[in-house]
Amino acid sequence: MTEMNKNPKPLEEALRNALRREDAPEGFALKVLAHAQQQNAAQEARRTSWLSIFSQPPLRWAAVAAVTICLVVGSIYYRNIQRQRAEGEAAKQQLMLALRIAGTKLQLAKEKVNEINTSRPESQPQNRSPRSRS
Amino acid sequence: MSTAIRKLVPLILLLAFPAILRAQDLKLPPGIEKLASKAKETVEVNMDGPMLHWASKFLSAEDPEERKAAKLVANLKGIYVRSYEFSDEGAYTAADVEAVRAQFRSPEWSRVVGVRSERDGDNVDVFFKLENEKIAGIVIISAEAKELTFVNIIGPLEVDQLADLGGEFGIPKLKTKPPSSKPMAKADKGEQK
Amino acid sequence: MPARPIADSAPDIASADFTDLVRRYQSMVFSIAHHFLTDVPAAEELAQDVFLQLHATLSTLKSEEHVKFWLRKVTAHRCIDYQRRRKLPQVSFDEAPEPMSPSQSSDPLVARRLQQFVASLPEKPRLVVILRYQEDMMPEDIAAVLAMPVATVKSHLQRSLALLRDKVTRTMGEVTI
Repeated sequence: MTEMNKNPKPLEEALRNALRREDAPEGFALKVLAHAQQQNAAQEARRTSWLSIFSQPPLRWAAVAAVTICLVVGSIYYRNIQRQRAEGEAAKQQLMLALRIAGTKLQLAKEKVNEINTSRPESQPQNRSPRSRS
Repeated sequence: MSTAIRKLVPLILLLAFPAILRAQDLKLPPGIEKLASKAKETVEVNMDGPMLHWASKFLSAEDPEERKAAKLVANLKGIYVRSYEFSDEGAYTAADVEAVRAQFRSPEWSRVVGVRSERDGDNVDVFFKLENEKIAGIVIISAEAKELTFVNIIGPLEVDQLADLGGEFGIPKLKTKPPSSKPMAKADKGEQK
Repeated sequence: MPARPIADSAPDIASADFTDLVRRYQSMVFSIAHHFLTDVPAAEELAQDVFLQLHATLSTLKSEEHVKFWLRKVTAHRCIDYQRRRKLPQVSFDEAPEPMSPSQSSDPLVARRLQQFVASLPEKPRLVVILRYQEDMMPEDIAAVLAMPVATVKSHLQRSLALLRDKVTRTMGEVTI
């Protein structure tokens, strides 16, 4: 049995030693800073293109914003309406289906009753009027 | 099931809407609910009052069938359908169906049609629920060799409204009288298998 | 030393702070990544991404402690994502490469073997062990970084140590530390 097994501490110490921090590869920090500078430059460029919008006459910018908002809101509203319509149509179809099934089964009941009535023409209980039944 | 319906609904399992089952008269035992897994086609419709009201808004006034439907459902409180079509006979038991029929052997329900056909094995029962001389509900149980259907329509329906159904949606004009507890037609071959 | 809010710094100092942060924490971030992935180029790329993300979000971090917590957390999560995305295989202890810097241990073989054993642990326990023994973090802090319950962290630690102990016994036999 190893020392590490007899006493857990040595294992933990060994792990601390094995997993101690290592130096990053040479030039790592410079690469990161270089990329970060590129990131800054890209952000600046994006901000500049956005800023150019604000250099337009304010009224024109306001109109663009208003139209954009209307389009977005309008499309959301339209999509909602379409969705509700589709759901309503589906519900309507269910309703019609249910009524048709009910109708079909009542029709079946009627056919069966007619079959019985035609197959037993005389002196059968069902041919007497209900009032004459005791 | 008629060809028209089969065309309309190839394979449908329509989703139940929540908290609806409590409102319907028909309580299906677990044995019946499980039939969906055996059926080759299942139709399930659960529409309570608000749902019917909402769906009826989409019925077209220009279509005669939909116009009549709108008038019919205006006062309805619910329509519930379960219909199972099987590939083979013997998919369900008589006991399962009888358990459902037994729910309607109470004073408030009248069986107006009860047909047992030994020739083709088709059994059809139609029950009316009567309240204040009006039809407050209809239950139809149709047990055919390869098809089992339960329909529950919760009213109120006027008697003449029911008569108006005749000719629309393929519903026959049933001869109706002021409500009576006596059945309109009954097979004499016995009710139960 | 009280925590110094980074966000209060003037813009020039903020950029100097970032350079400072990179220099101060590059070893920590790279080591977590390398001990986890055991692949130097992958660890370097991952560490770079972490710092670039830090650069983008630096203004939202309030203090040095916050930065350290953030770096550990993001590095840990990126390690797992990276491994899954690149489908890097779990390293068996025979395959794990040599460590970057020579071990300080009197027995470099033991250190190397342990690194390999750690690399063979499942993802989450591996991170727990790395944060515990590389960063000397307490289970509560590890739980916060990895967003897992403290009890789970302790369980991972316990099981990982048992596993590592077993592996050491089976492969190295009598070893005196």
